[in-house]
Amino acid sequence: MEEPIIIFDKVSKVYTLYKSDGDRLKALFFRPKSAKDHRALNNVSFSINKGESVGIIGDNGAGKSTLLKMITGVSFPTSGTVSVKGKVAALLELTAGFSPEMTGRENIYLKGYILGLKDDFIKSIEKDIVDFAQIGDYIDQPVRTYSSGMKMRLGFAINVNIDPDILVIDEALSVGDAKFKKKCKDKIASIIKQGKTVLFVSHSKESVKEMCPRCIYLKKGEVVFDGDTEEALKIYSEKKK
Amino acid sequence: MFEIFREHKGFTRQIFLLAKNELIKTYKGSAVGPLWAVVKPLFTLFVYWFAFSVGLRGNRVVEVANIHGQTVGFPIFIFILVGFVPWCFISDSILFGARSIRTNRHFVTKVSFPVSTIMSYTILSKLFVHFLLVICMYIYVLIVNGGPTIYNIQFFYYCPLMYLFFLVLSWSTAPMSAFSFDFYNIINSVMSGLFWLSSVIYSSYDMEYGWLKIIMFFNPINYFTNGYRNAFLYNRWFWDYPEFPLETIIFFAEFVVLFFLGLWNYKRLRKKIADVL
Repeated sequence: MEEPIIIFDKVSKVYTLYKSDGDRLKALFFRPKSAKDHRALNNVSFSINKGESVGIIGDNGAGKSTLLKMITGVSFPTSGTVSVKGKVAALLELTAGFSPEMTGRENIYLKGYILGLKDDFIKSIEKDIVDFAQIGDYIDQPVRTYSSGMKMRLGFAINVNIDPDILVIDEALSVGDAKFKKKCKDKIASIIKQGKTVLFVSHSKESVKEMCPRCIYLKKGEVVFDGDTEEALKIYSEKKK
Repeated sequence: MFEIFREHKGFTRQIFLLAKNELIKTYKGSAVGPLWAVVKPLFTLFVYWFAFSVGLRGNRVVEVANIHGQTVGFPIFIFILVGFVPWCFISDSILFGARSIRTNRHFVTKVSFPVSTIMSYTILSKLFVHFLLVICMYIYVLIVNGGPTIYNIQFFYYCPLMYLFFLVLSWSTAPMSAFSFDFYNIINSVMSGLFWLSSVIYSSYDMEYGWLKIIMFFNPINYFTNGYRNAFLYNRWFWDYPEFPLETIIFFAEFVVLFFLGLWNYKRLRKKIADVL
């Protein structure tokens, strides 16, 4: 049962900061001289097993976003290795990747293809997505006519219905009115119950406590604590003082 | 080294769908839709014809040496037309290819996506437009110049080669433009001049000096504009052209260099792009 699904092995990430656009152009052809390095993650190692739900806490700039980007396969480590097994659904930027001229339904397929899904599978989840998003007849209208709330709901519905192995959630996420928020929370809870792996990034202690028994506390790109949530939160609030 | 090929594996269907999506994005919401793809180049073509044939009152006939060394004249309109149709594709694929990663940045910074396929589908969508233009051009050629002839099938050699050549070019230009917007601006500036240095409104096969003719071989755009004229206008095989060996060697040498340069540039920049876009 103890099967690691996400492994970070001595991962470091260094961002190169260029002084100006001119330096950036030069960097295409020569080794940059004046550029500064910013170390976002430093020698981070941990592993997450299948079915675990893990909270990630830390102040702004602690490296949470960088870590999530590596899990979703958008960003790559400067040194060390990241291994992620399975389909990742990220509730980070829900409306990213929509094509405004195409209808909601066409966008479901488009997003599915981007995620590497097959036609049959998308067809089988299409109804669930439409029902969950509650956008009714608008599903056959171009996405550019949607309100921002509708776009968000559709994005959320697609991501939670593609049957992910790993679900990455950012707390800062807002998905419309209180009623729909509750629906989302319930859906996430049911995904956790199904034994999926969930990563939850948050500033709010209550929601972390509620959802994750384990917590990773990041500070300035390093893992300060990895273990029981109660203890992690205690250290977090102590260090803050 | 070969991650571009790995990224394309099993993604063929998506590339076609995304190319279609590009077309829909470009032309949906306008009354005549895809007709714009034909109207715009047609108008430009009219402007060139007007400037050279009416305005400058120059030759209305372009003189071209045939394989027997004799001079044959072609009406300037059909001459420009057959060179202009591949030029439209080339110009579009260089410009849109170079900025493709930048315009599709959500595929780089938001989701895990085989980034090199962005260039493939962007340029493929331009190829669809090119097919439409070729059909229009071919109908005109059939009416005015007669045919069809066996030489027309050379289209099936030049067209895929043209797609591949400018795709391979974009393996370098797209990641570099994504990394630095100044680099894209350089390409953009070069493109506006490149038209006059390519054999679109004149024939680079018939330059006054021999050495100039050979220099023109180094511009790969000429390989295709002259190629299309071989296929549709001159009605001869590309190997009938006396300088054919030199022309071919130069072209394919450039192709191979660009191919490896593209693989190298893509590999070194792929993992950095998401951080800078």
